[in-house]
Amino acid sequence: MRTKITTAVAAVSALALALTGCAGGGGTDGADGGEVTLQMVESLTNPTRTELLKTMLADFEEANPGIKVQLVSPPTEQADQKIQQMLQSGSGVDVLEVRDLTVGPFSNNGWLYDMAGDLESWDGYENLTDQAKSFTIDSEGKGYFVPYGFYGLSLFYRTDLVKEAGFDGAPKTWDELVEQATAIQDPAQNRYGYAFRGGANSIGQVMSILEAYNADNLDAENAYKVTSGDSIFSTPESQTAIDKYIELFTTGSPESSVAWGYAEMVQAFTNGSTAFLLQDPEVIGVVNDSSLTEDQWSVAPNLVGPTGKAAWPMATAGWGVAEASEHKEEAVKLVEWLSGDASTTFAKENSLVPILAEAADDEFFKTGPWAAYVEMTSAPDTYLSVVEPRGSSWWTEWSQRSESDLQQVLLGKMSTADLLSGWDQYWTEKWEA
Amino acid sequence: MSSLSGETAGGVGARRTRPAGRRREFNGRTALTMLAFLAPAFVFVLVFTYYPLLVGGQMAFRQWSLWDLTSTPFIGWGNFQTLMADPAFTRVMWNSVIWVVGSLVPQFIIGFLIALALRKKFRFRGLYQAVVFYPWAVSGFLIGILFRWMFNSEFGVVNDLLMRFGIVEAPVPWLADPDLALVAVIVANVWYGVTFFSIMILAALQSVPDELYEAAALDGAGRARMLFQITIPTIRTTLVLTVLLRVIWIFNFPDIIYAMTGGGPADQTQIATTWMIKFTQQGEYGLASALGFITMGVLVVFTGLYLALLTREKKS
Repeated sequence: MRTKITTAVAAVSALALALTGCAGGGGTDGADGGEVTLQMVESLTNPTRTELLKTMLADFEEANPGIKVQLVSPPTEQADQKIQQMLQSGSGVDVLEVRDLTVGPFSNNGWLYDMAGDLESWDGYENLTDQAKSFTIDSEGKGYFVPYGFYGLSLFYRTDLVKEAGFDGAPKTWDELVEQATAIQDPAQNRYGYAFRGGANSIGQVMSILEAYNADNLDAENAYKVTSGDSIFSTPESQTAIDKYIELFTTGSPESSVAWGYAEMVQAFTNGSTAFLLQDPEVIGVVNDSSLTEDQWSVAPNLVGPTGKAAWPMATAGWGVAEASEHKEEAVKLVEWLSGDASTTFAKENSLVPILAEAADDEFFKTGPWAAYVEMTSAPDTYLSVVEPRGSSWWTEWSQRSESDLQQVLLGKMSTADLLSGWDQYWTEKWEA
Repeated sequence: MSSLSGETAGGVGARRTRPAGRRREFNGRTALTMLAFLAPAFVFVLVFTYYPLLVGGQMAFRQWSLWDLTSTPFIGWGNFQTLMADPAFTRVMWNSVIWVVGSLVPQFIIGFLIALALRKKFRFRGLYQAVVFYPWAVSGFLIGILFRWMFNSEFGVVNDLLMRFGIVEAPVPWLADPDLALVAVIVANVWYGVTFFSIMILAALQSVPDELYEAAALDGAGRARMLFQITIPTIRTTLVLTVLLRVIWIFNFPDIIYAMTGGGPADQTQIATTWMIKFTQQGEYGLASALGFITMGVLVVFTGLYLALLTREKKS
């Protein structure tokens, strides 16, 4: 009996130890003499992408004997939270996917390793596009992540519907978009002009028109400001822009789109309900897989404002190294490898704007729907490369607040003037704090 | 003499008269064994329930923001004051009440009717029960996503059916209209929750002896009288406990709203738990924890009622 009790107590103790977290660190030294195993965690997980990453990591392992990489792929919805927990515990991760939305809090809490010093001696740095360089080493000289690609808005449009409505091509300006969307809109036939985004993350589209209308005075380092130092929401151009945007909703968009998020917008375009969709390049793959035939749709550059210019703020994500990693040298090596030639494969497979300058010469990015992206990249005076303050600690709060305010305007419960003055006050107070 | 002194010692004497066999069952060694078996559960609950509760508890009184965890100063009731001062607070609390009552009443009535129908024996009853009870096995988030598409104004099945039957002439913007959005999420929750009532009430109904109905029928009682004078009084405790349990669950159930509307449009379908998710997404764990405390306060009242009734039922 005594033996049984001893066994039971030992089992309980073992369980307690396990539960209270006596786990080891992230990277481990293998028993076979100096082999390092890196733990890499992705955030924007999907099965196809995970398979691609595994293939790329196998190539890396082959090229770097002695380094193994273990990929952790939490479900997308919980991934950032999972990564945060791992970083907070100080173990379990060496290389991680860092997004422009998470780099702020992660670095602020001291969880990310500053790779700037390591990247100075990296040959691949010079191969990056200017945009990629600006994210790799930020304005404060820190290198918390190397982007693997960019997401930037462009206009998906129905070539057949535009032609049927009597227009000779895709709209180039916001004015033309409103005109064409209104002409195509016919609810009786379940046909609508523009796939309006009123739901989650609607601020990206709102900012696109505000920045286009303020393009001549935009602060490129912070597109939420104009060159005078005031917020973009305080200018008369923004009032004109937001009124135009609401007109687009009223006359050329489905009534229910006040609640539309990403899924509804893309679905509305791919099932043929709407003629226009402003979205990131990742949608190219989705439209390719839809019932729309190749001659029914295309992609046009982002819409310009009254002065013929548009801003092209890019959302991004990339690979970074955890401050707590015990194998920083190997981790940085992996980040650099992923940011080399492998990044173009990754960009192609995931429909991203590539980070390598030489990718612009790749036939893949020159043809079909990708041509619009090359056109925008090659005309930097028209499509201004700007940075939005997406790394601000209050970004999610802002995103949710702006969504709610915009919906109030769409529902007729708030004026556009009140919307803009509220947003101006919000950002001014945040910057002053 | 010793026997007499034992009797005069009251309780002590009573323990002494306990059979020797039972005393042996609970000696030190047995206690240790029991402790060893109980310990895993105890440690598990301690680590995964009470530890997070304590951490969450202290977060509620601190400025605890994901964006700067290097400084988490104690701010007393600051988070609670921020919540109360938020213009959305009253709406969120009011929505929570509408959400609970609006979901609970139809769930109860429809669930009761289904249970009554399923009590009768008919061909394929087992299959029918399986079909009716199936929704309970599906994730709330999945239900929410399904209903989001069903209520989609342009290509949702709800509007399609309503228009085909001539009930509406034009598509109804269910999830875009603030008032209709709340109706839509409640409809989804009713569909989901009816099953629970059906299961619980059917189980209770099957415990009512047929003899009672037979006797009542002989006395000339009609169906309504049987329902109100036999069925409901007999299963009253189950009904009350089930309702209380559902109040707690529905109040604490953000899945469907989160998946269907995300609390929108313009926060019009926000309830306490979806609002909590919103704060968590913003990295404002202090505010989320404070809201969690408020939510827990409400739930404790209902849980107390539930436990009191349960205890009374066990005693009876």
